Amino acid sequence: MNQPSPRNILRWFDPRHRQPGTWAFILNRITALGLTLYLAMHLIVLGKLAQGPAAYDSFVALAHSPLVKIGEMLVIAAGILHGLNGLRVAITSLGFATRYQRQLLWASTILSGILILIFARAMFLGG
Amino acid sequence: MCRFDPIASIIHNHGGTLPTLWKITLEILRQRQNQPPHVELFELEVDPDENVLDCIERVWAFHDRSLTFRHACHHSTCGACGMRVNGVEKLTCITPVREVTHPNGVLRVEPLRNFPVLSDLVVDVSGFFQRMEQTQLSSIAPLSQAKLPFEPNPPTIWQGQRLIDCIECGLCVSACPAANTSTSYFGPAVLAAAQHVYRQTNNPTVMQLVNCADGLWRCHSAYECSAVCPSNVDPAWRIMDMRRATVAHSLRNIFKRPNQKVAP
Amino acid sequence: MNSRPSILIIGAGFTGCALAHDLSLRGVNVTVLERGEIASGTSGRTHGLLHSGARYCVTDPEAAIECITESRILSQIAAQCIEYNGGLFVALNDQDLAYSAAFEQGAQATGIPIERLSPQQALQREPNLNPNLLAAYTVPDGTFDPLRLALAFAATARQNGAVFLTHHEVQALHADGQGRITKLTAWNRHTGQQQTFTADLIISATGAWAGQIAAMVGASTVVKPTPGIMVAYNQRLVHHAINRLCPPDDGDILIPQRRMVVIGTTSFEVENPDYIPITAEQTEQMQRAAEALVPAIANTQRRGVYMSARPLIVSGSSGRSLSRTFKCYDHEALDGLPGLITITGGKATTCRIMAEKTADLACQKLGLSAPCRTKDVPLRSYRLYYS
Repeated sequence: MNQPSPRNILRWFDPRHRQPGTWAFILNRITALGLTLYLAMHLIVLGKLAQGPAAYDSFVALAHSPLVKIGEMLVIAAGILHGLNGLRVAITSLGFATRYQRQLLWASTILSGILILIFARAMFLGG
Repeated sequence: MCRFDPIASIIHNHGGTLPTLWKITLEILRQRQNQPPHVELFELEVDPDENVLDCIERVWAFHDRSLTFRHACHHSTCGACGMRVNGVEKLTCITPVREVTHPNGVLRVEPLRNFPVLSDLVVDVSGFFQRMEQTQLSSIAPLSQAKLPFEPNPPTIWQGQRLIDCIECGLCVSACPAANTSTSYFGPAVLAAAQHVYRQTNNPTVMQLVNCADGLWRCHSAYECSAVCPSNVDPAWRIMDMRRATVAHSLRNIFKRPNQKVAP
Repeated sequence: MNSRPSILIIGAGFTGCALAHDLSLRGVNVTVLERGEIASGTSGRTHGLLHSGARYCVTDPEAAIECITESRILSQIAAQCIEYNGGLFVALNDQDLAYSAAFEQGAQATGIPIERLSPQQALQREPNLNPNLLAAYTVPDGTFDPLRLALAFAATARQNGAVFLTHHEVQALHADGQGRITKLTAWNRHTGQQQTFTADLIISATGAWAGQIAAMVGASTVVKPTPGIMVAYNQRLVHHAINRLCPPDDGDILIPQRRMVVIGTTSFEVENPDYIPITAEQTEQMQRAAEALVPAIANTQRRGVYMSARPLIVSGSSGRSLSRTFKCYDHEALDGLPGLITITGGKATTCRIMAEKTADLACQKLGLSAPCRTKDVPLRSYRLYYS
């Protein structure tokens, strides 16, 4: 039906026919979920520290697998995107530079892209 | 010539020259009250410069008299004819066919989102207007206050009044993702109206109305409302400006003596 | 009458809404049936000029006096939706200027306050006017929002107990055993179901469609749907209603509304006002008329183009010279069909007095003695229609 409803929550993530502001809104939510999931996993990992060197070392071996590296890259990307867009939302949400929200969006997206590339280079190519 | 659509002969009978016509398919989401919706197709010949509302009116006049839709002024002052056209909220009386489809193309028309549907393209706007009335927004304002503050002043020495920009069409409510999931959220139009009232009157009463979780603070900056507004209201800017005013007001209150404090 | 009398009104344009307001103030149970939305017929698409009457002060003094009286009343009771900024009559050539003597006389005779302005004064108030104008007069014109004016009447009527049923299309009127029309069948277009309604009196306030309703019972109502075109532009180039100083003609009025200006109108007859196509010829005609008054329109984007079907009473002639007054048809007297009245004709500015006269007749027929109070009762907020 057409009524507002908490069951419409999946429509939050539907970017069709919408403007860049909504894409940023959607991306902020996806990265938030991703970062929260990462936080949970991070705490689990830290928990392994308490279980002694053997448990921790076996986990660290796992951490060198490429899948985990890609996962970590995604987390860094999520953090950068969420953080920079979050700055934009924080500034404009209190009535400062609201008229320039679109320009701020392009700026934060481009800056995010550059930082992500820098990090990716560092992670995958060393140095 | 499509034999179901008499537009060519009507124009001819009125002594007009025939414009180049496009053949399009109108997909209209239809339903009777409390029945499940379904899509119906109508083949039309249209003048690409006419507006979507004209096409819908023609479907009603010549194809199916049971089609229900809202309309009144046909020139974007009443706000009645808001609908979703190909998924995007539009005021159909000022949306040329040329802008939303192409020859042999499809034009999908659906009712606005986030309002209860009464039938076909008619939505129930009573809740919306009740909330708007709570803000006590006046439809008439002095010229200098009717515009957005960052717009230049109109080039006339004469001070008069005019109907304000907000035509209460509900496009912003339909486009808002927060309004999509919350039945209690006031929606962009009401919050923008509150800002307009506050800036005109400086009376904090309207601030009390919207300074709550379901009001100003439910907005999460999608900015879709300002993107679809057909009438220069810029509700997103107004919501953020009202937030700034509310925070400033609360901060000033902290430093006032108890008997001087003004809620909120 | 043992309890409150009941009246069914067909049509929720200006006339139907103002009539519902008037009758509900007089203690009548009113139900209004409208096949579309409030003001979705002629009323919604009206040009939006609150006539001071100056336009008719030479050719139709009776209409002019009606307008100046009613526009003042509406500006008081319906201030919520009226841009009451005044208007200007401008003379663009010698022919226009020659009309000014008669214009001044007519305005004085009908009690419409005007003031002559020099071209410089006029251009100071309205910098976008044609700089070649020769003279101008101020008049107490205004601009209104058509839907909100109808809603204001309807809202007040609802607050006083009237019932509005939109998307209900009347399909048949029925007489009882004595030939009195007491019942009608309507199609609820939301549900697709038919419903029957009864009342002590049925009033058709359907304007340009009055002939179609009357034909349902063979009653006589001669109204000629006479549409005209309006073109809206994307910039508020003037702040007053601009009229051409000449006898009423096509394209002689340009009004401001919100951030637009709207030029109108033409006049031609149709048989069926359900759908009137827009022709390029008429649009271009309005474009030229608008550019003559305000040259900057040539560089302004068109926002909307639309047609509105006036309900003109036939008096033997056709086109623009048709009478602009309104008429109540008492079908009991005219056609031997008691229980039905038709009110049609008129213009938006006179909706309140049309309702008053019709309500007077209706109360007379129902044996109800109740004076009209609409002159003094300010209308409630138009949003309360949706309460």
